[in-house]
Amino acid sequence: MQNKEEKVHEPLFHVSKRSSMPLWESTAIRVASILLALLLCGLLVALFLGKNPADFYVSLFKGSFGSQRKIWKLLKDIAVLLCISVAVTPAFRMKFWNIGAEGQTLVGALASAACMYYLGGKIPEAALIALMFVSSVLAGAVWGLFPAVCKALWNTNETLFTLMMNYVATFFVAFCLIKWTPDGSSSLGILEHGHLPRLFGNEYILLIIVVVLLTVGMYIYLDYSKHGYEISVVGESNRTACYIGIDVKKVIIRTMLVSGAVCGLAGFLIVGALDHSITTETVGGLGFTAIMVSWLAKFNPLLMFVTSFLIVFLNQGASQVSQSFNISNAFPNVVVGIILFFIIGCEFFINYKINFRSRKEVK
Amino acid sequence: MAEKAVELVNITKKFGSIIANNNVSLEVMKGEILAVLGENGCGKTTLMNMIAGIYFPDSGRIFVDGKEVVIRSPKDAFKYKIGMIHQHFKLVDVFTAGENIVLGVNDGTKYNMKNINSRIMQIASRYGFNIDPQKKIHEMSVSEKQTVEIIKVLYRGADILILDEPTAVLTPQETQKLFEILRRMRDDGKSIIIITHKLHEVLSISDRVAVLRKGEHIATVRTSETNEAELTEMMVGKKVDLNIKRSEPKDPKLRLHISNLNSTNDEGILVLKNVSFDAYSGEILGIAGIAGSGQRELLEAIAGLEHLDSGEITYHDPKTDKDVNLRDKTPLQIRDLGVRLSFVPEDRLGMGLVGNMNITDNMMLRSYRRGKSAFLDRKKPKELAEKIIKDLEVVTPGTATPVRRLSGGNVQKVLVGREIAAAPSVLMAAYPVRGLDINSSYMIYNLLTKQKEAGVAVIFVGEDLDVLIELCDRILVINGGKVTGIVDGRTAKKEEIGLLMTKTDKIENEEATDDAE
Amino acid sequence: MKRILAIVMALVLVVAGVVCLTACKGGNTETPSDSSTSGNEDSKVDVSKVKLGVICLHDEDSTYDLNFINAVKEAQTTLGLSDDQVIIKRNIPESNQCYEAAADLVDEGCNVIFADSFGHEDHMIKAAKEFPNVQFCHATGTKAHTEKLDNYHNAFASIYEGRYLAGIAAGLKLNEMIKAGTITEDQALIGYVGAFTYAEVISGYTSFYLGAKSVCPSVKMNVQFTGSWYDETAEKTTALSLISSGCVLISQHADSMGAPSACEEKNVPNVSYNGSTVESCPNTFIVSSKINWAPYLEYIVKSVAEGKAIDTDWTGTLATGSVQLSEINDKAAAEGTKEAIEEAKAKLEKGELHVFDTATFTSEGKKVESYMVEDTNEVIKDGYFSESDFRSAPYFDLEVDGITRLNVNFG
Repeated sequence: MQNKEEKVHEPLFHVSKRSSMPLWESTAIRVASILLALLLCGLLVALFLGKNPADFYVSLFKGSFGSQRKIWKLLKDIAVLLCISVAVTPAFRMKFWNIGAEGQTLVGALASAACMYYLGGKIPEAALIALMFVSSVLAGAVWGLFPAVCKALWNTNETLFTLMMNYVATFFVAFCLIKWTPDGSSSLGILEHGHLPRLFGNEYILLIIVVVLLTVGMYIYLDYSKHGYEISVVGESNRTACYIGIDVKKVIIRTMLVSGAVCGLAGFLIVGALDHSITTETVGGLGFTAIMVSWLAKFNPLLMFVTSFLIVFLNQGASQVSQSFNISNAFPNVVVGIILFFIIGCEFFINYKINFRSRKEVK
Repeated sequence: MAEKAVELVNITKKFGSIIANNNVSLEVMKGEILAVLGENGCGKTTLMNMIAGIYFPDSGRIFVDGKEVVIRSPKDAFKYKIGMIHQHFKLVDVFTAGENIVLGVNDGTKYNMKNINSRIMQIASRYGFNIDPQKKIHEMSVSEKQTVEIIKVLYRGADILILDEPTAVLTPQETQKLFEILRRMRDDGKSIIIITHKLHEVLSISDRVAVLRKGEHIATVRTSETNEAELTEMMVGKKVDLNIKRSEPKDPKLRLHISNLNSTNDEGILVLKNVSFDAYSGEILGIAGIAGSGQRELLEAIAGLEHLDSGEITYHDPKTDKDVNLRDKTPLQIRDLGVRLSFVPEDRLGMGLVGNMNITDNMMLRSYRRGKSAFLDRKKPKELAEKIIKDLEVVTPGTATPVRRLSGGNVQKVLVGREIAAAPSVLMAAYPVRGLDINSSYMIYNLLTKQKEAGVAVIFVGEDLDVLIELCDRILVINGGKVTGIVDGRTAKKEEIGLLMTKTDKIENEEATDDAE
Repeated sequence: MKRILAIVMALVLVVAGVVCLTACKGGNTETPSDSSTSGNEDSKVDVSKVKLGVICLHDEDSTYDLNFINAVKEAQTTLGLSDDQVIIKRNIPESNQCYEAAADLVDEGCNVIFADSFGHEDHMIKAAKEFPNVQFCHATGTKAHTEKLDNYHNAFASIYEGRYLAGIAAGLKLNEMIKAGTITEDQALIGYVGAFTYAEVISGYTSFYLGAKSVCPSVKMNVQFTGSWYDETAEKTTALSLISSGCVLISQHADSMGAPSACEEKNVPNVSYNGSTVESCPNTFIVSSKINWAPYLEYIVKSVAEGKAIDTDWTGTLATGSVQLSEINDKAAAEGTKEAIEEAKAKLEKGELHVFDTATFTSEGKKVESYMVEDTNEVIKDGYFSESDFRSAPYFDLEVDGITRLNVNFG
């Protein structure tokens, strides 16, 4: 062949878009990519740590399923991440790139903590919790409102705006902590009052139930309500929205209020059900991880059960690997990165086909 | 027989499961104009893109001057002296014509604008182009821009020119001029492939016609040995009745009174200048004009989407017999006033429909607010979607298919179907047949005629003057945001409309000559 | 094209992995592992039933946590604990996750759990209440003496003593400069880069100042806070601005190399913290003080092994080996530094000398006669301020005359 057509150099491969793919095939690609990622990671473990890859897989798995407590922690961590992921979703469906979930959640947490700090023990517990809930939701909503209003009125860049609001929130919390800790340690410690009740003696169950309900509710809101429909239209095309008489400004503001409010709710849950305290690290980057969860799920709240599980599972596995192998988190994080890279990368092979050079038919 | 310039052998190209070209073989000779004829979506542009290096064929071979070649990029294509003029121009607005022409040329010579311009003028005079190399693109008319695109290709030494729907943006006069140039280039020994779906142009310009249908090469025939009916049959695959049944307007009543509309766009340019006209029930009012002459702004102003500087839009309600002022009303307010105004915008997927939504959800765009519930009722829209799919023969796997997956014609049927289902008293349609196959086009014409017969005031913005003359009762001609004339559709001549489309303002002209003196 | 990109990116990831791994490996191999024999000889306690859990705020990338992780490794070697007997949990934030980590360590069979960060405290107490049979020990905390739990303990070290000794080295250096005529007595100004305006830092720089003053009576000190425990840029610029404003000697209480490297650049003597910086600052490094947590870890493991109660508040001292001074750099230090430090150290250990002797300093121009901490604890006893006495964490937060705070920063 080479001798015959030396002058003709067809490219080695070229890429073309697939129109659609049967579900089993795309599932197979996804599973294969995860297996491939795990295989590569095992190889890295053997090569660089000199450890048995099997130990690595066992640790990765044990991180989430090693004990009853770990399973509960897995569920709880999924719930918290899912809550924030669900919160960012309405804005993302509207193509409003809200990367301020971190700050919105943090001010929600701060509002709850403030109620606990100032009113704890002075008013009945039930009233305190109700007040925490309301103030957190409001605080989150207000934090989402600023960028939304500026976007609606002056078309400011929401990405930068929401990002900056995160820093404002962090410093706001730092300021309050200084104010609240007279010894100057900035460590508030566990606040006594305003703890959400334990259901069935488990401190996580209430949180999990709330988030499951919220997620399903958000799915219904986005896919079956008129508001959700308007969000989709605005997200797809401003001009279509105008054409059918949707007030785009109103929808932007309303949606960011919802997004911020749910973030605030997440803050309330974190403080009220888990930490009973606040630091500048209370949200700990979950506001950003949530973006990935939401995106991986293609903004479908129900799919986020799966994607948030995936992220939490990998993170807990990474911690467990770090613990078992007694190494810093750097290596496990690389591994998690590789696995995520494969998972996200396989979407390319689902959407595109690679055509390799084939032997020419000789006529 | 003349020498073959380009030969395609068994070219196949697939996009996913869609076969754009299936085993197509054809050739173009030196010194020949070959028309590639076919309906929209038949794969003619895809085929030409493979010669121009935009796409790469899945299988098949390409020969240039008898030698097999591999064309991976437009750069490769130029190596083989092939140049393509796309439907959408690819020019840098703030550069001059000369700068655009020379952009990307790396022939090793020194960059000297003077030499370049003189070479451009040489090419222009050889084929009879009118061009000023110093003029900036943004100051140019569409036909001037096209000239730049053609010279750009010639400048790079192309011997094989591919033109994709070159007349779509031109007036009849400009089209004639372009054809003159193309003939001169042919006589100079160049090979020209012209992609088109307009039959009369094929007959007037080409030497041979290659007809494509659904990705297949049907036949290549000598132009002198064929006729319109035969070509249509090859294109569509069956005999088509190309007549529009135009009925006499019954009991026309004033429905819409537009007076002295003025509108400035975001860039501060006056896009509507003192536009006044009336639209009557039971008639189709055509709007003719070069693309971008203010048609879109005019319709959007009526629909409540465009800000007006001044002027009045008055709707005469046939039920209450009262006048309703529509100026400065939002679409929602217009609807709440009980004005049943339907609008098929030019930008179907960017405005009229939401591409990522399925057909049912697109049906709801106008009506989703109905009812007090906070939740959507998808039952009725689904029924409507099913009805439209059935009545208008929309080709789709089902109502749950995202609209962007449908072909252009089916998208348009969904949009027009929805707008008509709203039982309008005024129906505005901008370029409703653009990109549609012949059958779908005639189906749309008939739908509009039926609406007219039902007493709807129809406003139809079109680009094909032949169709406008056949379909409309009256034709309003717009030029640079100004109404330059309203003619009777039954008596008007194409050339007359063409003149009105390009007529420059008398006063402006006089001022210009004054300045010159 | 995209495929190639994917391959390239995967390669980059692999390379990144290799780099960080070699780093990890390097860290691991430094600690010798043939400890089981020699370790047991020292302790003579059967520690085979003990399992130690350690909770760290960050990992080895943070110098603060690295100090703890190294201490764990040292203690493990000394005691001869097997790898199965020690679990380190890294990157545990100061939130409910600390409690979760502690509970998880209990599940893993740990019977003594240690946490390294101040903000872990409440969550450790929560765990301590839930698991009364497990010992919980917390570094830098303040609540053990008020919580009164049998299984919850605080620990710190009398680092102020170490700083006092380091201060002597600084004072002698100043004396040398005065003698040489480079500065006058009035120009004996020390610059101090602090992290936050917390008691821990205040206690540190005051003891350092008093140490210097004990040999160089005219010394004055300026303190500037960066508002971060670790911010190399801020620490460096702060040190540079102190130097340009006339400070002739620099010390710091922050974790990066910012201040030492600024000193080396400007050739200004530096008294360091948290370990010797002589390698990168051979011309300016004088001496450094640090806390070594290994003695405490050894103590708690042994206590658990023997079934003895752990002190509610344990303060490591020079004697326990918790407070350490590095080797003195003779190239930068004044003559006689070593002898002076030894002398003072002996006196401190014997109790003849107190760092915060009220006769040696004044606050707002007056001698301090009485000072209450946490409302009820009188800390001025027998003519000195008794630091780390009723609780292990530092609480000295007086503003002493001679020290000027250029700013305050509580984070």
